[in-house]
Amino acid sequence: MKYSYIKPRKKSIFTAELKITMTFFIMTLGMLFLTYTFLVYKDLRFSQERDEIIQKRFDFGVAIEDMKEQIVFIEKEALLSERIYTQNAVLKDSIANLFDLIPQRITLSEASLLENGLILFGITPSKDVYNFMLQAPLRSIFHKTYSSFYPQPNGWLKFVSTNYIEEESYETNISNSRNQEIKEENGDEN
Amino acid sequence: MLSRLFEALYLKVFVNIVIKRAVCTVYIELLSKKNVIKSVEENFDTKFMNEKMLAFISRYTNESPYYYISVLDNSSSQGAIPTCSKNQLGQYHDMTSSEYRCFKEKWSYFTSQSDLYALEKQYKQIGLDFLFSPFVLLANFFKDKIDNHLAMFVLVEENYLSLAIFDNSELLFAKHLDVRNHKDEDAVLAYEEDSSDLNFDLDEGIDLDDITAIDELDTLDDFGNIEDLDSLEEIDEFSESKDLEEEFYQANLNASEQKTSTGINEDYQRFLLIQSSVKRFYADDKYEGTFIESVYIADGCGVSADLKGYLEEEMFLSVYVRKIDLAMQVCEMAKAELNS
Repeated sequence: MKYSYIKPRKKSIFTAELKITMTFFIMTLGMLFLTYTFLVYKDLRFSQERDEIIQKRFDFGVAIEDMKEQIVFIEKEALLSERIYTQNAVLKDSIANLFDLIPQRITLSEASLLENGLILFGITPSKDVYNFMLQAPLRSIFHKTYSSFYPQPNGWLKFVSTNYIEEESYETNISNSRNQEIKEENGDEN
Repeated sequence: MLSRLFEALYLKVFVNIVIKRAVCTVYIELLSKKNVIKSVEENFDTKFMNEKMLAFISRYTNESPYYYISVLDNSSSQGAIPTCSKNQLGQYHDMTSSEYRCFKEKWSYFTSQSDLYALEKQYKQIGLDFLFSPFVLLANFFKDKIDNHLAMFVLVEENYLSLAIFDNSELLFAKHLDVRNHKDEDAVLAYEEDSSDLNFDLDEGIDLDDITAIDELDTLDDFGNIEDLDSLEEIDEFSESKDLEEEFYQANLNASEQKTSTGINEDYQRFLLIQSSVKRFYADDKYEGTFIESVYIADGCGVSADLKGYLEEEMFLSVYVRKIDLAMQVCEMAKAELNS
């Protein structure tokens, strides 16, 4: 029960001096805490950025490796295409030369280009025409030449001419050409 | 929650101030939870706060932020009225410039607002937490008697008398009296009663005389039952009363020799005040005039046996005196209020 005319004042352990001191300390601690939080945040951000950069560098490394492999592959493809192109050119020249070899009086029905040989099928008016006008140049090119004739009802002859280049000389030619290509490549790089 | 924790950790310091006639009693109690760690009492030769008193109080209040300053109200414009109803308050006292509180929804006690502000201003340096009415002090001190007795209860201070008549915890009449200021008037009143031949034009005197006559008639009626009440001892007392009266006059003469400034013994002054108040209680229609047989006195200043003698001999009252340490009682009330 209340007896007094007045109410007691509110009591607090926080005196004015204590309040000022505590405010000062709280503000100082608050500022320190904010600074610490800021530094922790910045540190975290730096760590994240560092990790991202490391990851990017790794990715770039991987990409560079891929690109190098691609470059090697493309270079190989380029070499291959060049070689094919050269071979095709050689083949084209060879075919052109071959067709140049064929005299007008002889008609070819089929020509099979082998790796180390050439098989020709055709019709000739006579063996002499064939021997003088076609076999002579073929022999100058190939080491072995075999000819077979089959008479036609009209008197003409069907022929099958099989021509081979010897293995050793063929491989020598091939290796010579490859060495020449490698030399050319090295020369380009230098 | 936090404040309760701090409150439990710190000591509680109760500073209790009782202003007396020429001195100011400061009683300080230091409590740890419910245990009294230390109590100290000091009297200062001043009625107002001075540096010495402030230093004494500050020495203890600095020990804990939980200190409470309690003061016993000594306003002369205070009192108590037998109602809590706002509508009926005005019937007994003009409350426009008073601060009042209700006691257990049965009666009210009040004090002057200006005196309250003056006290707050006076104790501005240390602040004020509790201001207790002497009537509440009296009600708590005689709690065991008030609840089941019809009697008059008087708190006697050096300067003041707080008089209340209770009938089974119901307040019938209350009066706060200044012993010094009423001195002359009451002395006149006393002489007026002694010399019934003289008629003064004072209204109160005339009224009281009339009422006294009626009371005497009533008293005579009551005498018819004296034998039934086995009042042989009282008769003996009456037989001795003349001697006592003689002694009273002798003592009064001695006192008049010693106390030349006042002229009349203080206890007699108090008696006169009590007597006049009782007469007013019987006379005033506002109050329920129940006959009072006993009086309980809380003696806060060390009254002599004379007061008891006056009351017994002159008013035929059964008088019981209890010593009261006002400052300690104020402290108990502050503790009770704080824990409520």
